[in-house]
Amino acid sequence: MMLTTSDNATTKTRTLTSKQLPKATPWIIAVASIIVGIGITVVATGGFSVAIAAIIAGVINLAAVLIISGAYEGRRKAVDRVATTIVTSTFVLACVPLVSLLWLTVSKGGAAINFDLLTRTMLGMKGVLDQQYVAGEASLAGGFYHAIVGTVLITFAACVISIPIGVLTAIYLVEYAGKNRLGKAITFLVDVMTGIPSIVAGLFAFALFSTILGFVMPDATGSAKTGFTASVALSVLMIPIVVRNTEEILRLVPMDLREASYALGVPKWKTIVKVVLPTSVSGILSGVTIAIARVIGETAPIMVTAGFAKTLNWNLFSGWMSTLPTYIYDSQLRPVSPGDAALASSERAWAAALVLVILVMLLNLLARFIAKVLAPKAGR
Amino acid sequence: MKLKHLAPSAAFLAVGALTLSACGGTSATGESASGGGESDLQGTLTGIGASSQKAAMDAWTADFTSQNSGVTVNYSPDGSGAGREQFLAGNAQFAGSDAYLDDEEAAQAQEVCGPDGAFEFPVYISPIAVAFNVEGVDSLNLSPATIAGIFKGDITNWNDPAIAADNPDANLPDLNITAVHRADDSGTTENFTEYLKATAGDVWDQDPDGNWPGAYGGEAAQGTDGVVQTVTDTNGAIGYADASAVGSLTSAKVKVGEEFVELSPEAASKVLDASEKVAGRGEGDLAFDLARDTTESGAYPIVLVSYHIVCSSYSDQNTVDMVKAWEKYVVSEEGQASAAESAGSAPLSSDLRDQINTVLDTIQVSG
Repeated sequence: MMLTTSDNATTKTRTLTSKQLPKATPWIIAVASIIVGIGITVVATGGFSVAIAAIIAGVINLAAVLIISGAYEGRRKAVDRVATTIVTSTFVLACVPLVSLLWLTVSKGGAAINFDLLTRTMLGMKGVLDQQYVAGEASLAGGFYHAIVGTVLITFAACVISIPIGVLTAIYLVEYAGKNRLGKAITFLVDVMTGIPSIVAGLFAFALFSTILGFVMPDATGSAKTGFTASVALSVLMIPIVVRNTEEILRLVPMDLREASYALGVPKWKTIVKVVLPTSVSGILSGVTIAIARVIGETAPIMVTAGFAKTLNWNLFSGWMSTLPTYIYDSQLRPVSPGDAALASSERAWAAALVLVILVMLLNLLARFIAKVLAPKAGR
Repeated sequence: MKLKHLAPSAAFLAVGALTLSACGGTSATGESASGGGESDLQGTLTGIGASSQKAAMDAWTADFTSQNSGVTVNYSPDGSGAGREQFLAGNAQFAGSDAYLDDEEAAQAQEVCGPDGAFEFPVYISPIAVAFNVEGVDSLNLSPATIAGIFKGDITNWNDPAIAADNPDANLPDLNITAVHRADDSGTTENFTEYLKATAGDVWDQDPDGNWPGAYGGEAAQGTDGVVQTVTDTNGAIGYADASAVGSLTSAKVKVGEEFVELSPEAASKVLDASEKVAGRGEGDLAFDLARDTTESGAYPIVLVSYHIVCSSYSDQNTVDMVKAWEKYVVSEEGQASAAESAGSAPLSSDLRDQINTVLDTIQVSG
């Protein structure tokens, strides 16, 4: 009894400096557990499954860290290391879907994509052309130029509608509303809007335009399905995100800046335009980009509101339009040619998916670039 | 003062937009889209409906728009029910549907389309193959009761006396049967079970439905491709799938009357000729109650038939001309051949085509 107490005491005094495992130990343990995990999977199941191997490796890793560190460094350090291991493993776990999705898109889309796909539409596309491609007699026909145009136009129109509304609402909430009832009501409604399922937004926009057109032009069959209707549906989804993000950013602008401006006799509107907005513009823009990235991949509301066009349409206000997500959905689910030649439709869909991912990435870069240009110069 | 910073990005955007618009916009094969149009029809036709005929619809629109470059045909494959609903709501000029209008819908159609109501006619016949993969068996005869027994799970081995009775010459192995069916809701399943119910009702005691009856066993596979893949990969498997999709698999011959009929486009379209028109409908309503239990020689009764539904009258001459031209192309020999080539469907018989053309000629301007 006496002996153990003194032993504990000596350990405690030296925990910070002595008996530390070498820095590389966690990595060595991790690599070893992965190898063991793979080994156990192969032996136990007779095959190889990434998921099972990963789970086994994770558990072994955790146990190994606990045992090795506990035996050598003591309980305190061991608990710390286990916590670190859990956090890191969870992070890796969260990255798995992202990396695997990107990898799949790039490998499958990259194999299929070519310049012709980007410049052609589906006008005149029929199953025979795909059958010839699969049989190796012709190159891959068809393309999604019309879908790229549709995506850009519809998203742009949605931005034109929702950015002013969203940013101005946020300005009202932060600068004018204070804690009055209207402000609270708006905040509540924005919260509710954030939770609207996208298909409902699509149905809302379609119903709205059907009703309006029903009064104005009763004879125009099916004309409520246009790119603009889709833009309205997307803005319903976009506005709450823009409001939310802008609001957060505006609240971050220090009160001192506003007060300094007022002290110089600057009116409120001018303070907002010249002080508050320029200070927060980069944050607002990244908020807007998040909102765009959120809606550019929407499929359901576009299907309801803009239909499935096969041909190029530059007019937002008349005729059906395709966007990349609806194009992907349509190609994958209902190939131009059934049977073996459905492969061709699938390849076009993967190529379109790659283009969509690149488009979102470009948007992000563009927003960063604009934010950098517009950001207030420090030290002025 | 900040505006001048915007200039570079605005220029960037403008250049990007110009680059985008400068290239592209050509047709699927990269040839110029304009020219070649012989007619002066102008406008847009909108159709909503069954996804089963989408591949055929792609072929039809491709050919039709190459002949009539002023016309755009849009088709949204939202499903048969959605198609009929939207058509009756006046949101589409035509509908595609795997089922004809029921009586209530037919009455509703008179409000939308005028006193003559809607015209329906079959445009797309797709035979459903019963494909099998048994090593050493190149040809298989099956009677409806045997097919029902196999898919129900009563017949579990290829050397079962019921199969042997239909195939006296075949060398049937002692091998378990893997009956593959669709896991998802599908028109193929609905037509297949409808056939089994009509021809082997005493074995097949479940009502026809797009979903596979849960009471029966078998192996489920996702989508047409899944069924074909599973059957191809499994020795001793049998499944049903759209004939255009079975690829290298062998299809069973099905007993009709006293003989076994091989799957062929002609045999499939023969079923429609042997079927009765739905009673109590207008002159122009070419809806058929499929004679699944037909004994007509050489008819193959496991088919999916999809209709087009159009109005008997439209509000303006231009729409009337477009609909007439479009539907006449769809049922024409050329249109049906194009669909057969691209979508693997069976062409309509010439007799039925004449009937449809007669009906189409009566489409007029309302009022």
